[in-house]
Amino acid sequence: MSIRNMKQAQYMLFGVIAILFPIVTSAKGSTITLLASIGILSIATLGFNVLLGYSGQISLGHGAFMGIGAYVSAYFVSQLELPFFLALALAAIIPFFVGFILGLIALRLEGHYLAIATLGLAVVIEEIFAEFSGFTGGWSGTKTTYPTIFGYTFDKLAVYILIITILVILMIVTYNFMKSSTGRALVAMKKSEHAAQAMGVSLFKYKLLAFSISTMYAGIAGSLYIHFFRFAEPKLWGIGLSLDLLAAAVIGGLGTIGGAVVGVGFLKILPTFLQTVPILGDIDGLSFVLTGISIVIFVMFYPKGLINLPVDIYKKFFSKKPTEAEEVDL
Amino acid sequence: MNAVLKVENLSISFGGLKAVDDLSFEIGENMIYGLIGPNGAGKTTVFNCITKFYTPNTGHVMFRRSANDVVDLLDYNVHQIIGLGLARTFQNVELIKDLSIIDNLLIGAHSQYKTSVLQQAFLSPSARKEEKEYREKAMDILRQLGLEDKADAIAGSQPYGVLKNVELARTLMSSPKLIIIDEPAAGLNETETEALAKMIKHIRDFYHCSILMVEHDMGLVMSTCERICAINFGKKLAEGTPQEIKSNKYVQEAYLGKDDDDAEN
Repeated sequence: MSIRNMKQAQYMLFGVIAILFPIVTSAKGSTITLLASIGILSIATLGFNVLLGYSGQISLGHGAFMGIGAYVSAYFVSQLELPFFLALALAAIIPFFVGFILGLIALRLEGHYLAIATLGLAVVIEEIFAEFSGFTGGWSGTKTTYPTIFGYTFDKLAVYILIITILVILMIVTYNFMKSSTGRALVAMKKSEHAAQAMGVSLFKYKLLAFSISTMYAGIAGSLYIHFFRFAEPKLWGIGLSLDLLAAAVIGGLGTIGGAVVGVGFLKILPTFLQTVPILGDIDGLSFVLTGISIVIFVMFYPKGLINLPVDIYKKFFSKKPTEAEEVDL
Repeated sequence: MNAVLKVENLSISFGGLKAVDDLSFEIGENMIYGLIGPNGAGKTTVFNCITKFYTPNTGHVMFRRSANDVVDLLDYNVHQIIGLGLARTFQNVELIKDLSIIDNLLIGAHSQYKTSVLQQAFLSPSARKEEKEYREKAMDILRQLGLEDKADAIAGSQPYGVLKNVELARTLMSSPKLIIIDEPAAGLNETETEALAKMIKHIRDFYHCSILMVEHDMGLVMSTCERICAINFGKKLAEGTPQEIKSNKYVQEAYLGKDDDDAEN
């Protein structure tokens, strides 16, 4: 019980530090933007990890669900003038049902049909968003405002604080969820489908559940994205974003909660530093190259992910005998 | 006799091969029942038919849940079987290696959980209570099987013999009426096999369930089973007590080959 409490406290501590950091350092606007986009993508990656890291299914079109969440949220706030939190809830629920229906079709078949179906979605989604111009503003994009809650209009920093708060809440909820019987069923399914079935886990039901839940996270992330940047256009939500989520989950550490944040942080911060390096910084699309190389390196040499690196380094240099059977970091 | 499980005229073929051919047998209440046969006789196939991993071509598998509630397992999906009161183990130990032993046991209770995903994610009081109950149940079972000191160890770090017992413990989490065990002695040495025989009997006596086992090790089968069904090429050769099976001419032929005059000298 004490470990459980500790984990949740760790996430909260992380949240407090993340919120205080820009305030204490009175960070520039661009730094807040960087941190906020890390927070937003972390939310989507957290959901992606439920799917890939815990239940072993893969989606190549999660960016599309972020897009749906973003447009839904912008539409309800700007066009229908609904309260922000209601729009946020709808931005979670609507992608959930879109994911549910897609999963209902794609998961009936055994094998990698979910990956294929979502890849198809990733390819066509930009066109779809562009066509629905009444809803999305077409290729020229759609604008919205900072959220207003109970008459208080957020500024940039306040939205950032909101993003981190939601991220921390979702980290805790995800942790509880993964430690529950449903979470164990997902893990069992990933490791041995036979065992899971024999223990009463319906593979179809739990794959569908994992996929729908992960699209819900993507929808929430999309909503926060559009209310932070106050602008979105169709080409944001294509396959590039989907692969970024995949990369962040793999690099951070599959099947871990902190890994989502670490992975996104790595992918976002490193290119920012590298851009200041002469020659290297001049390469076009540096972050794409970096993403690709990082996936290969991590899959080949360190599939446990960055989140486990400090523990492994500590074990290697500071503890004489490796402790057997240490619990995998969540 | 009140049979817990009644297999009736079960047949399944793969391509042109009849893996199980018109097989019938029944298992009484609180009975340890053995299914034996030489390699490739179709034992594991029978198992997979009963637990719905395979769907047989013909036949019925009648399972008595209570006095007035008899169901045909073939009407259910593979993941629904355990909820009816029938839990199984696997020949090659299917545990989740990254999880602790107690978490593995809790997976065995999956079919018993009643709280919803939302209740679990937000740690509602009923979800907490439920989790605590099953955790206690898991500890009780581990204690019964002498595994309580391993509860928090990661499954992957434990030796094979322990894992076999853990898998057996996991079946008990769903309070089954019938446990079916696939080759429990495979990969165990003689001492471990003897301990296993004791444990199987203890489980039957303590948890009041029937046990069906598929087994190669004749020593284990003869010392634990009350009734045995011997099959070969998917067909029943003989059924009876261990003594009857041992002295049965067809069984001897199947295991040792035909008793020719040449072999006598």
